[in-house]
Amino acid sequence: MAALSNRLSRWTLPMFACALVNFLVAQGWMLAGMTWPAQPVSTAGTLAAVHLLVIGWLLFLMLGALFQFVPVITSRPLVSQSLALATLIALESGLAGMVGGFFGIGAGYPGLAMALPAGGAAVFLGVLIACWNIGVPLLRSRPLSLPGRMVLTGLAFLVLTVTLGLSFALALAAPALAPYLAPLLAGVGDHALAGLGGWFTLTAMAVSYKLLPMFMLAPEERGIAGNSVHVLATAGFALAVGAGLARVWSAAEPLRVAESSGYATVAIAVALYLWDIVRIYRTRKRPVIEAHNRAAIAAFAFLGLGSALAIGLRLTAHTSAGAPVIVFLTVFGWLGGLGLTQLYKIVPFLTWLSRYGSSLGRGGAVPRVQDLVLERRGYPWFALYFLGVLLGAVAGLLGSSRGFRACLVLVTLATFGLVIEYWRAWRGHYAQLRHHEPARSPLLPTQKG
Amino acid sequence: MSEPLTLDVREELRNGGEPLPRILKAVASLAPGQALRLLATFEPLPLYAVLGRKGFDHEAMCHDGKNWEVLFSPQAPRPEPASPAAPVSKESCAGGWPKPSTYLDNRGLEPPEPMIRILDALEHLGPGEVLEALNERDPVFLYPELQARGAAIHTEKVGEGVRLLIRRAG
Repeated sequence: MAALSNRLSRWTLPMFACALVNFLVAQGWMLAGMTWPAQPVSTAGTLAAVHLLVIGWLLFLMLGALFQFVPVITSRPLVSQSLALATLIALESGLAGMVGGFFGIGAGYPGLAMALPAGGAAVFLGVLIACWNIGVPLLRSRPLSLPGRMVLTGLAFLVLTVTLGLSFALALAAPALAPYLAPLLAGVGDHALAGLGGWFTLTAMAVSYKLLPMFMLAPEERGIAGNSVHVLATAGFALAVGAGLARVWSAAEPLRVAESSGYATVAIAVALYLWDIVRIYRTRKRPVIEAHNRAAIAAFAFLGLGSALAIGLRLTAHTSAGAPVIVFLTVFGWLGGLGLTQLYKIVPFLTWLSRYGSSLGRGGAVPRVQDLVLERRGYPWFALYFLGVLLGAVAGLLGSSRGFRACLVLVTLATFGLVIEYWRAWRGHYAQLRHHEPARSPLLPTQKG
Repeated sequence: MSEPLTLDVREELRNGGEPLPRILKAVASLAPGQALRLLATFEPLPLYAVLGRKGFDHEAMCHDGKNWEVLFSPQAPRPEPASPAAPVSKESCAGGWPKPSTYLDNRGLEPPEPMIRILDALEHLGPGEVLEALNERDPVFLYPELQARGAAIHTEKVGEGVRLLIRRAG
């Protein structure tokens, strides 16, 4: 136990637990009709829910994963496990402040409104600590693998995102600063693009480039395709966000062209990435695809669907009207979907390593990683989740608030079901049920689909 | 060289049977240098390690997703790990290590199976004995466990995989 704990990130599983609780709280808030589409996008309720989702759910999930993932890809430890705890505390308290601040602004309480920049500052601090903790092993690793390079790029976009976010918070809550910062508020779409695209999408791509080949035994080397995805996505997001922000101050035509070129470049990067993901599935050595990677196919499909919808809306000049649906597809379908599916492997894997690693080779029964889950229990929840997201997006496009909430019931039910499955994996529930089964022949496959 | 011996266990597997004894019997009956051609309904991943320990390399082909053909060929003699011709990551430290007494082919196994096999095999080594393993990937979670057990390790990249030499504490 002592040995493996040196390689296991102590705060990863607690961060996943926080992430899932925040995700369910955000969904509850949406179910209560306090957000889009029942309310306008710019209301306090919607803004609070969006930040509960992107900070509370996705940022906790991603940083928790990176605290474990970065030492694996760099063979170097984090700067400090305690700093990971500091990030957890700063983010959770900062998020609570931000949510309170949004309601303070919405209700017209200046005192409470100041909780928004205060909370934003705590989030900013938590992110900087995480960047230090993750960035140092990445920068010291030579040569740095493609996933490592993609994570580093993602961290730059993360810092840009939280810097913009903190500026917005000050503009909204501090009247004295409003004259200087208020114009920036026109760049809220670029804040979202830097966060959901440059940071989350690029980093999710990085993690998938490591995890998928690892568990399907496919070639990890992604060659020109992988490097092109990294370069094109980075250039595309940087161009779109940079030109978009510059347009806050200037209406020059070249800036509009540059922004559109950025979006087009991102679209090419996404298409190339999805093609490369298909290649990973096709060149895998393991004939059986486990539940987490089977379900992840839906998340990849949502990345394609969200991107296609974004292109379609931009070409028909309906971007503003459809933006909430694209955000919903990205947060719930692509990033949230990929997160939930990969947790179905990461939670049992980390649980297994921490609980049984030191017993290996020293006698006694050790269950297999896959004994910690029961895939036939997981599949229906994944199906329900992705069905709910798809139907919810359709309802959102049609502007049906009641339909959207009905679909969200499916999503929440499925999320709750999956949380129970993760809990059972962590508790060793299924491993105990299987304890009395006869030993398997060495010829039989080690994993069942 | 003689033709490979073909053994078809597909029917037996479809009927829920256990063909391992028949396979081991067929392996025992092979002439020196002769290969075994196994026909199965899935890729028999754990069998790779079982026959790897008996000195067989494997080459697998999947015909239609349901029919696997695996050729188990006797391995060519491998160079001494500590010899100048066999580069290891820290050659000076590896010098003087005895020839590996156990060989594990962990290719085709997903994490953490390679780690389980190596730690299991390590417990069966005598003091100071060496095991050699071929892995798909660098087993990052294995290192602290080896350290805790006082074992020494040397790794080197070989093609798309990693070759490990692990010596049990003397």
